[in-house]
Amino acid sequence: MIRERKTVKELIEQWQSDPKMQNRVQHVRVLPERPASYATFPKQLHPSIKKALQSRGIEQLYTHQREAFDYAMEGKSFTAVTPTASGKSLCYHLPVLQRILEESKTRALYLFPTKALAQDQKSEMNAMIEAMDEEILSYTYDGDTSPSIRQKVRKAGQIVMTNPDMLHSGILPHHTKWVSLFENLQFIVIDELHTYKGVFGSHVAHVLRRLKRICDYYGSNPIFICTSATIQNPKELAENLTNTKHQLIANNGAPAGKKTFLFYNPPIVNETFGVRRSAILEVKDLARKLYESEIQTIIFAKSRVRVEMLVTYLKSLTAQNIQDESVRGYRGGYLPSERRKIEKGLRDGTIQTVISTNALELGVDIGQLQACIMTGYPGNIASAWQQAGRAGRRQDDALIIYVAQSTALDQYIIQHPDYLLGNKPEEARVYPENMLILMDHLKCAAFELPFKQGENYAEFDVDDLLEYLAEEKILLKTTDTWHWMTDRFPAHDISLRSASQENVVIIDQTIKGNTTVIGEMDRYSAMTLLHEEAIYIHQGTQYQVEKLDWEEKKAYVTEVDVNYFTDANLAVELKVISEDRVRQLGKANVAFGDLMTLANATIFKKIRFNTHDNIGSGPIHLPPEELHTSGTWLHFKQPDDWTDDDLNSAMLGVAYAMNSFIPLYIQSDRSDVHVVPQVKAIHNGEPTFFIYDRYPGGIGLSERIYDLWEQLIQHVYEHVEGCSCQIGCPACIGAQDQTGNTKDQVLHFLQSFLLEELMDDVLREEDFANEANVKKGYENSED
Amino acid sequence: MQMKQMLKKGTKTAKTEKTPYQKPLPPFYTEKWEKAGLSQIENDFGTVFLRETHYAFNHQHGKYRLGQFYEALEAWEVYEQEHPLKMTSDEKIVFYDTETTGLKGVGTHIFLNGLLEETSDGFVLKQYILADPANEAAFLFESKFWQANQTIVTYNGKSFDWPQLQTRWTLNREHLPPLREHQQIDLFHSSKRIWKNDLSRMKLTTVEQQKLGFQRIDDLPGHLAPMVYLDAVRSGDHDMLFQVLRHNEYDLLSLITLFIQATELVFSEANQEHAIVHTNIGKWYHDLKQLDSSQSLLENVTENYATNEAAEAYYLLAIQQKKQKKYAEAAESYEKALPYLEERQWIEASLGLAKLYEHQLHDLEEAEKHTLNALFRVRQSLLFKKDVQQRKREAIEKRFLRIRKKQGMK
Repeated sequence: MIRERKTVKELIEQWQSDPKMQNRVQHVRVLPERPASYATFPKQLHPSIKKALQSRGIEQLYTHQREAFDYAMEGKSFTAVTPTASGKSLCYHLPVLQRILEESKTRALYLFPTKALAQDQKSEMNAMIEAMDEEILSYTYDGDTSPSIRQKVRKAGQIVMTNPDMLHSGILPHHTKWVSLFENLQFIVIDELHTYKGVFGSHVAHVLRRLKRICDYYGSNPIFICTSATIQNPKELAENLTNTKHQLIANNGAPAGKKTFLFYNPPIVNETFGVRRSAILEVKDLARKLYESEIQTIIFAKSRVRVEMLVTYLKSLTAQNIQDESVRGYRGGYLPSERRKIEKGLRDGTIQTVISTNALELGVDIGQLQACIMTGYPGNIASAWQQAGRAGRRQDDALIIYVAQSTALDQYIIQHPDYLLGNKPEEARVYPENMLILMDHLKCAAFELPFKQGENYAEFDVDDLLEYLAEEKILLKTTDTWHWMTDRFPAHDISLRSASQENVVIIDQTIKGNTTVIGEMDRYSAMTLLHEEAIYIHQGTQYQVEKLDWEEKKAYVTEVDVNYFTDANLAVELKVISEDRVRQLGKANVAFGDLMTLANATIFKKIRFNTHDNIGSGPIHLPPEELHTSGTWLHFKQPDDWTDDDLNSAMLGVAYAMNSFIPLYIQSDRSDVHVVPQVKAIHNGEPTFFIYDRYPGGIGLSERIYDLWEQLIQHVYEHVEGCSCQIGCPACIGAQDQTGNTKDQVLHFLQSFLLEELMDDVLREEDFANEANVKKGYENSED
Repeated sequence: MQMKQMLKKGTKTAKTEKTPYQKPLPPFYTEKWEKAGLSQIENDFGTVFLRETHYAFNHQHGKYRLGQFYEALEAWEVYEQEHPLKMTSDEKIVFYDTETTGLKGVGTHIFLNGLLEETSDGFVLKQYILADPANEAAFLFESKFWQANQTIVTYNGKSFDWPQLQTRWTLNREHLPPLREHQQIDLFHSSKRIWKNDLSRMKLTTVEQQKLGFQRIDDLPGHLAPMVYLDAVRSGDHDMLFQVLRHNEYDLLSLITLFIQATELVFSEANQEHAIVHTNIGKWYHDLKQLDSSQSLLENVTENYATNEAAEAYYLLAIQQKKQKKYAEAAESYEKALPYLEERQWIEASLGLAKLYEHQLHDLEEAEKHTLNALFRVRQSLLFKKDVQQRKREAIEKRFLRIRKKQGMK
């Protein structure tokens, strides 16, 4: 292979004269440079801090950094919106250091979503402290912290950097060992605010409520400093997450380099079916070109399996060079030491191409990458910007290539690039009201400090719930106080990260007598990825699952070398438990309430690499997983002129498209909600579309869709109608049989039935919906 | 999910001002527990229950009388050096053991403070029982740990009982006088020192059975204690609680006899026990830098036991002899130990010999032999992690090559 170093600019010029590329790149968008806007140092800024800044060549602040400092000095909680590489850490370092220098017993707690980020920030902070020539103790506190310094961190650490999981199970339940921290806590810094959404965010919202409760007990009243990537509702998210009023700093003063976006659509390989070449294969070719031009590149793929497939493909580029480590994978499930090594390789340049799941969206410091390839739309605009921000961190020219997959949403993006570039990113939400999450953390809170009768837990009046816990023999009520009274340690029963509470451990038994744990996976994913005979790919190596011990949550795998991967089906059964809200939608009815679902992994297929042929299948024997959750559903009388079969296939097509478009409305992954159509639902005997949250107790996603059915259906119709395929394709209603006329049926169904017949009064309904939205509002507690 | 109806979003209640301490009420079962033989103590902070038991000096517990405690104290009084077991009669000594509702964290309560102390005519056991969690300050206050300095003797108290007590105290620090730091003697650590490789488990009940000649009858297993208390404060039933009290009583009495026996062993000639026990104690002296005591005890072991039993003693002696520059003696001790050592020490001893022969005794052939032996053993060994094994191998290979080179030069 011939490698020749090129600049991003040269490569783009070369591609512009390449007819094949011209054909496939459907849009080019260039974001120009943006100059910086500056503010002077604040007057009271401590001379040591000034000295340290000046030693790094900083003579003035960006405007957002100055604004942050001023808010913090006024004792106001605030949220700063800061894109990648905009000097966000000074937004919190400056006020924290200032206060510590003014009063040395001041304490600050930094929260990062991962250990890696905390490590990064510690190095940066230590460099800063050294340049200041001051004695300030800053530590990370997590699972890796050596027991010998833990006591010192607890007693003397002025700045403690940790993650929500450690706070949840390692700090809050042992708060008596942290008295000097909690008594003097002035700042709680939350970095990467936008990552705290959905289930994880809702858990963290409670961890922070518990934290505040403990601060209150020790008499401190810290402010929150949050930094966030660009999302639509940073202030609202921060306020819901921390249950505290926030100021917003939205105008970023940092400069940005020129960014070139290419919107790349794989060529159609089957006109009738509208099938395009697999995006993975296209990414492989593009990555090869970038590799040959020695352009350091990050490739994002959406699933672990795809990451591993790409690693396998791309490692063959370096196959001749033994011990060549210039192509690496990076994703959750790797052990921490492995990940640290990869991060270092990226920084020092020994790794040239890294293939990642969204684990790297976070601000881990991997230095300067020149190009970024997105394999498909990451599901929301905010993530797309995060990924794009990985290229050109230091104001250089940057190349971002979006490679569309065949899915509806991906194809929509490639037809409407301005949706991605021109729209505000989505909202991120947390849902602390989730009953199961709330109960879990209420237990932790009661473990940490007893509850007095009438005492609120954050914004919640919890007397009835505490009474219930007392009946369950978890709490004991004395005259007016509930005390924790069992031998359990509740924080250990609750994992913040994954929907199901126990992970499946993956054990490599290739070498007898020397088995090792190579990773872990949440239970729900394990049903379809770690069933027996599944091919599990780890760092490009294929493993076959020999045995899945579901009771013990262990999957035993052996290394294999095969030319296929596996893909499993999940069947879902649904029952309505309660209807909490209903509304009329034309002649259809829409409801919201509680559901019980039963998921059953049924069969898996073996799919050959490269050609993606189906080359075999087998059954999966796993007990069904039960899920109580909330959902919304739309049901209607079965139209007379439709047979069950026709209706079924039309509804399937509509559901497919709906599932694709839901992420447009709510910031979520495809997998966070499910759309299930039933021609005869069990509870009403009518044709029904169910949309439900794929998390126990619900997470507020389907609740928002309850108000959005009209728009969703409208959108689905427009998209299916506008799709260029003839009989239905993966980009609209899913791949279809050549003989069928499903696409016509779907369109007919959508138009004549759903849109016209059922919702002719859409306008009035929309008014109603808007009004409902306003009424519902979002309560932010005062503080 | 049905619980949704129970959840209300509250209007924030006005911040409750820190009010002066409000003395909690005694629990509803107070009278019942008094009738059962517990006495109710009422102090400024509320209610606590107490069971008090007295023992005469000649009270027999296993193979010891409690009064033998004073013989042990005397032994320490004449011992001039420092030692983790050392106590004297000037100190106020209290044997301490808790029972708790869990294993860790702020939600774990101590519900029983057992304190065993000397009196003029014997010993007294005071078992304070947490009346209910509301009355915790009263319970902690009665422990008197805020008063004059004491020496606290525990079994694993350094890492368990005392940190738990500190946690509870911190939660009540607004009302209680500050908790003092006390001298601590943890017999768990001493037991590990003395009976390493002799006892398979270091649980107190194991030590009792195997060493102290005490067999518990109908003892309530310690891990059931939380359940019993949790049930007692909910139902008011106290029957099972007395079994927990007895369990705690056994623990504390055994602490006295354990101290007696540990003291005896530390000062004994090497003929009381298995060779391994005396060797352990010799090593303990060594680590405490009391080399004379260490050496004489280890020599004592080699004199009293067959070579195979005294192997480790020879091994430890060799290390000391080498430090004292008695190289030939050191080599002799290693050689004696070698055939009977377990793998890890076998490898170390072989390397020790290799070093002695290479640098001090100048016998390169012997040095080479032992280096090679060590190398083969390390290669085959399953003891080490891969990277450790690799490092060891490389170091030995380097030594081997150097010795070879020196031989060539000769």
